[in-house]
Amino acid sequence: MISVSTALSAISQFIGERFPVDKLNYHSMVEKKEVPVHKMSWGYYTGGLTMFFFMIQVITGLFLLFYYQPTVSDANVSVEYINKYVAGGALIRNMHAWSSSCMIFFAMVHLLTAFAMKSFVKPREITWIAGVLLLFITFTFGFTGYLLPWNQIAVNATKVGLQSVEYVGQYLPGQLSEVPKILRETFQGESSVGQSTLGRFYALHVVILPLALAGLLGLHLLSVQLHGMSQGVDQPAKKSEKFMSIFIFKDLTLWATVFLVLFVLAACIPFDSFLPFPLLAPFNALGSTPAGIKPEWYFYFVYYPLELLPFWVILIASMVCVSILIFAPWIFKGTSRRTLSFITILVSIYLVVMTLFGEKIYEFFKH
Amino acid sequence: MPPLYALSFTAASAYPEFQQFVEKNSHRTVNCAMCHINENGPVGNGEGQIGSFSADEMKQLNKARAALLPGQDVDSPILNQFGNEIIKAIGKKEFVALKAEPAKLAERLGDKSDLDGDGISDAREYLDGTDPLNQFHGDPGKLFWINLGRYKMHVCLAVVAVFAINYGLIQLIKGVTIVQSGKN
Repeated sequence: MISVSTALSAISQFIGERFPVDKLNYHSMVEKKEVPVHKMSWGYYTGGLTMFFFMIQVITGLFLLFYYQPTVSDANVSVEYINKYVAGGALIRNMHAWSSSCMIFFAMVHLLTAFAMKSFVKPREITWIAGVLLLFITFTFGFTGYLLPWNQIAVNATKVGLQSVEYVGQYLPGQLSEVPKILRETFQGESSVGQSTLGRFYALHVVILPLALAGLLGLHLLSVQLHGMSQGVDQPAKKSEKFMSIFIFKDLTLWATVFLVLFVLAACIPFDSFLPFPLLAPFNALGSTPAGIKPEWYFYFVYYPLELLPFWVILIASMVCVSILIFAPWIFKGTSRRTLSFITILVSIYLVVMTLFGEKIYEFFKH
Repeated sequence: MPPLYALSFTAASAYPEFQQFVEKNSHRTVNCAMCHINENGPVGNGEGQIGSFSADEMKQLNKARAALLPGQDVDSPILNQFGNEIIKAIGKKEFVALKAEPAKLAERLGDKSDLDGDGISDAREYLDGTDPLNQFHGDPGKLFWINLGRYKMHVCLAVVAVFAINYGLIQLIKGVTIVQSGKN
């Protein structure tokens, strides 16, 4: 049996290897840092882009906070006010909406490239796990932010989402079966989605989640800077470039270009125009549920299978996927990058097909 | 001949042809709120529905229903601005006749009217199944090109500003690096 001192010593060694104190200085973390140059080098920019979109989310979100009212009576009106009467309000709101989608897109691309490049192996396990948790937080940002405009699609989609949480209880044993119900009641705050729900989602969206994300992002970035960029390919790269300043300059130029693309998109295409207009009407508690309620595009990969297959199938599949993601550093320790790239391509095809054609697949099987 | 009120009441709640056509043509979900004040149409007791009207509003409604020919000033309390504009443009008589060919409504409306000022005509928005009274709602592709033309100066200024800031930041980092290496 392992003694307490042996366990503590193992933990201490594990943490020591992941956070080497001797490297905690500007010289090691910035000046000395080199970035390998090879065919997958573009993958090194995806994390920075995700962080850039998060920064845009924070800045545009702060502007929106000046005018947004988190009450069921005023939420929708305040969003309309921002769009119509606040100078630059529509642009800021559109940038927030477009940037949230971009942030989730790049977070997923970053995770997939990091997986294909086998960037999770020792000593980067904590970097990986923090990254996976960051992705989940990003999804939760999307879910909580969806409710805030308090329109038909926002409230009805949230109802469906919260109901799904409660369904999980049916498949859990004993006392555990009550946990999803308690969770739903905690986040919903009342018998149906209402003022308490809006208040709680608002608190989550603007305070709790940003703090959690900032903390985890700090850990993630510290770990990345401590260990440098992962090798990424089987053969060590013949070339490398200085992180400070070559890589940083390229990163900044990429951010500038991406910002312009975002600016043009936000100025020219209102994000709401992708939805049918009846779903954008203020939520009417007495009215019937309009047709076409569905979540944001980044949930399609789980939403359409959920509509087609029994709930327990999706539940088990989700639990397996989440476990694989979290324990990837140990599960795929000995797997070659070739195999990991193949898995990544398969997963990417699934995600793209379900996102673009999920509705068609659903209609094909349902009718 | 039935009284005008009875004729109009039946007609007001029985024009699903237009909605069906728009949904089929645009592959978008639409509802009565495209032309009516209430999303559930004119029948009922809610806002913009006949059951909730005062005597004055009923008078206003009947006046609008009598606008059989185009060109009359219409302000029906069951219709929104777009609905009233349709009756004003083609008259109630022709509108009812177009039930059989809902696609022709767009033709008859023409491309001149754009109530929300988003650059897409009301007739086009009718065909696209988008909201003709919301400037932030329209076909995304069309809105992109229209707004790109509208905001080209803003975009040019943004390009200059962003790359100027980027250039400044890069020079600042270069300067700091030089100072740092000088100290070392």
